[in-house]
Amino acid sequence: MRLLKNSAVGRRYQRLHPSVQRKLRVAVPYFAMGILTLLVTFFLIDTPNWLIWLPFAVLFVLLEFFAVEVNDRLFQSSSIMVVMTAGVIFAIQPDSDATFAMALMAGAALFTPLDFKEKRWFQPMANFGQLALSGAAAGLLLDLNLGQLGGATTDAFVRVAVASSLASLAYVTINTILVRSAVKTVYGNDNLQPWSQMNVLIGGQVVMGLLGGLIGAAYEIAGRPSAVLVLIVAVYGIGHMSLYAFSQLRESHLSAIRGFVKTLEAKDMYTRGHTERVAYFSQMIGEELSFTGTQLETVKWAALIHDLGKLAVPTDLIRKKGRLSDEEYAQMKSHAHLVEEILAEVDFLQPMVEIASGHHSHYDGNGYGGSGHTQGETPSLEACIVAVADAFDAMTSARSYRMALSQQYALGELRKHSGAQFHPDVVDAFENGLAKTGRTWGAPHVNDEEMARRLAEEPELTLRG
Amino acid sequence: MANWSPRTIAAASWLFPFVAGGVGLYGASKATTDPISLPIAATALVLASLVGVATSNSGNRFTTGLAVAAAIPFVFSGDTGVDLGGTLGAYGVGLGAVWVVRYARGEKHRDLLPMMVRRFGGYLAYAVVYSGMRVGVFSDLSGGWEDLVPFVAAVMAWLAVEVLLRAVLILGPRELSRAYLARAIIHDINVFVGLALTGALFGELFPAIGWWALPIALLPYSFAHSAFKRFQETKVTYKQTIRALARIPEVSGLAVDGHADRTTQLATSIAMEMGLGPSQVEDVEYAALMHDIGRVSLNEPNVVKMGYTDDDIARWSSEIIAESPYLKRVAEDVQQQYEPYRNPGDQEDPGVSIVSRIIKVSAAYDWKVHKDGRSPLEALEGLHAGAAYEFDPDVVASLRRLLDARGVLTPVRT
Repeated sequence: MRLLKNSAVGRRYQRLHPSVQRKLRVAVPYFAMGILTLLVTFFLIDTPNWLIWLPFAVLFVLLEFFAVEVNDRLFQSSSIMVVMTAGVIFAIQPDSDATFAMALMAGAALFTPLDFKEKRWFQPMANFGQLALSGAAAGLLLDLNLGQLGGATTDAFVRVAVASSLASLAYVTINTILVRSAVKTVYGNDNLQPWSQMNVLIGGQVVMGLLGGLIGAAYEIAGRPSAVLVLIVAVYGIGHMSLYAFSQLRESHLSAIRGFVKTLEAKDMYTRGHTERVAYFSQMIGEELSFTGTQLETVKWAALIHDLGKLAVPTDLIRKKGRLSDEEYAQMKSHAHLVEEILAEVDFLQPMVEIASGHHSHYDGNGYGGSGHTQGETPSLEACIVAVADAFDAMTSARSYRMALSQQYALGELRKHSGAQFHPDVVDAFENGLAKTGRTWGAPHVNDEEMARRLAEEPELTLRG
Repeated sequence: MANWSPRTIAAASWLFPFVAGGVGLYGASKATTDPISLPIAATALVLASLVGVATSNSGNRFTTGLAVAAAIPFVFSGDTGVDLGGTLGAYGVGLGAVWVVRYARGEKHRDLLPMMVRRFGGYLAYAVVYSGMRVGVFSDLSGGWEDLVPFVAAVMAWLAVEVLLRAVLILGPRELSRAYLARAIIHDINVFVGLALTGALFGELFPAIGWWALPIALLPYSFAHSAFKRFQETKVTYKQTIRALARIPEVSGLAVDGHADRTTQLATSIAMEMGLGPSQVEDVEYAALMHDIGRVSLNEPNVVKMGYTDDDIARWSSEIIAESPYLKRVAEDVQQQYEPYRNPGDQEDPGVSIVSRIIKVSAAYDWKVHKDGRSPLEALEGLHAGAAYEFDPDVVASLRRLLDARGVLTPVRT
C-alpha cells in the first residue's frame, strides 16, 4: 500500500476526486476478479459447443441490456433463465461443461444502455466482475450435480430441478451481495433508498432460474426441437414482462408519493424541506434499529406523507405567528385525521397512513392522532420514529414565529421527554445515528425557546420602524 | 342484443350450456383419441378456469383455462392430424360445466352470456383452423419450425373472432361504443398470446417428456399471471392516487361535495359515447378528476385577499398536475378547461383539445344542476344557448343523447 502511495500511479490516484477514488476501489478488484474467474475456468474446464452457446449468449446480453430497475439502482432481467437453460444443456452433455460457458455468457453482458448514454466506465467494469463470478458459481454447482448424467432421460428431471434451484440461488445471492456492496461503497448509505420486497425479487429470480434449468433439460431430452426453441424465447419474454410489471408498479408507488409531496409543497413551500428531512431522519433511525428493506421503506414513505393532512388546514393557520387559540389548535390537530380521510382509498399506502396518523401520539399514550390512536396506549414503533424525527426537525428549523433552535437544545428536549412523549429506544437510536453522520442541524447557540421567538420578531420590528 | 330484455338474456344464457354440451357430446361421438382422455381434458379445463384469474388492462378476465384449451389440440393429435371431434368434445362439455359453476357462484346472466359465447366462438375458430391446417407438411408434430405455423394462424383466428364477438355482443347501455371495446381488446393481445403460448409449450413438450411438461408450462403461466396482476395494480394505484388528490379540495371544504366525481363520470360517459379511444377516455377521466385541484390554493391568505377567477383556478390546477409525471399529459387539458371551443369568427380553436371541451361541458352541467339547482332539461338548455360560442356543439349533442337514454330529460311540472 505504501509502495502504491509513493509510486507515480499512487500519486495520480491521490489527485483524483474522492468519488472517482471510491469507484476505482470497487471497479478494479471486481474487474480483476472477473478476469481471474474466466482464466481459471477456461483452463480447468471443458469449453462449450460454441454453436449452441452463441444464440443463448445473444439472448442473454439482449435481456440484460433491457434490464429494468426493480429497486433503487438494482436492475433485474429474466436473463437468469437463459444462462440456466444453457448451463443445464452444457452440464448434461457428456463432452462439455457449464462453468466456463456460464461465466463467459454472464460476463459478456457488461453494458447497459445508460453506460453508453452517460459514458460510464465504473458500472460495466463492476458488472463484468460480479456477473462472471456469479455465473461461474452457478455453473460449478450444475457441473457437480449433473456432470455424471452423461445424456439425459426424463428420470433426470428431479435432479435437474434440485441442481437448477441451488445454482440459481447461488447466482442470485452472489450477484445481489456484490451489487449491494458496490453501490454502498460508491454512493454511500445516504444516497441509497431502502431495498424493499427483496424476498419477492430474489424468490422470483430463483424460480426463473429453476424454470430456465427445467426448460434446458426438456429441450435436450426432446431432441432439441426448433419449434420448442421459439416457445422458449417466448417464455423468456414472459419472464421479462413480469419484471417490467414489477418495476411499473413500483414506479407508480413512487410517483404517487411524489405527487402527494408536490401537492403539499404547492400549497405551502414551508413544508418542502421539512418533509424530506423527516423522511431522512426516520430512515436513519430505522437503520439504527436494524429495520430491513420493506420495513425501512414503510417508515420512510410514512414520513413523506406524515403532514399531508395539512393540505386541508388553512395556510394562514400553518404560518400563524404566535400561539394558537384553542379552536385553532383543534383545527390544526385535525390534520392527523385528515391524512386518513384523504388517503382512505389508496390501498398501497394504508400501512403508511396508520403510521402517519399516529405521529402526534405520545409514547405514554397521551397526545392526539387518527383512528388508530387510543388514549393510554403506546403507538407503533414506526409512529414513534416519525414522531421523534418530526419533533427534532420542527425544533431545528426556522418557523414563522421563531428562529431555528440548536441541535444541542433539541436533543436535550428529546431526552427530557424520552419515556413520556418519546419512545426511549427511538431517542437513543436517533442520537447514535446522528453522531455517526457527524452533521449538525439547527442554528448554533440558540439554546432557549424565548430567545428564538424574540429573534424572529426583531427584524419584523425593525421593518415596521 | 343491446335491446334484449333481461328475460330473453336469461333464457339465452340458460340455453348456452346445452348448446356447448351438445356440440361437445356430438364431437365426442366422433372422437378418435383414447376415450378416457376426453373427461380428463374436460375436467382439467373446468379446474383451470377456476384458478389463476388474471384481469387485463381493458378489464377482460382470463384464466388458466385458456392455456389448457390451447394445449388440447396438441395433445389430441397424432401422425395423421388433429382429432377435431375429441378437441371440441372436451372443450364443449368443459365449457358447459364452467357455465354451471360460474352461474352457481352467482354471476349474472348479463355478464355470463356474452363472455361464454365469445369464448366458445373464439375457440371454435381456433380448433377448426388448427385442425384444418394440420395437413400436408404440417400433418405431424415433428418439433420443427413448421409446427408453429398452424398454431399461430389458429391463435390469430381465435383472437379475431373474440374481438368481433366482443364488439357485436354488447348487453350494456349504449354509452359503451363498439369502437371503444374493439380497441380495448387489442390491448389484451399480450395477455392472450402469453396464455396461448404456455398451452402450446405444454402441447409440444408433452409427447417427449410426459407430465414434466406441466410444471414447465405452469411456471411461465404464473409469471404471466403475476405480470398481469401487477399491471392492473399499477393502474389501480394511479387511479386511487388521482382520486385521493381530487378529494383534497372537498375535504378542505373548498369545493362542492362530489363535484369532481360526478363531473368525471359524466365526462367519461360522454367521451365513450363520442367514440374516443381508451387512452383518450383515460385522459378525460384524469383531467376531470383533477380539474379543480387548484382550489387548494384558495386557502392562501393572499388569494383570499386579492380575489381570483375561474381561469386562475384552472392555472393553479394545471401547475400542480404538471409536477406529477403521470399527470403531465393532462396538464394542458386542465389549463384550457374554461377556454371557449372556438375563436371568434373561426370554425374552432385548434388549441383547445377535445378533452378540455368535454370537461368544460360536463363541469358546467354539473354546476348548473347541483349548485344552481336547475333541472337537467334546464341545464341542457343553458348549454345549448352557449353552444354557438362557449360549448362545443358536438359534445353538447352527445350529452343530450346520454341524458335522453337515461330518461332524465322529461320535463317535470311542479
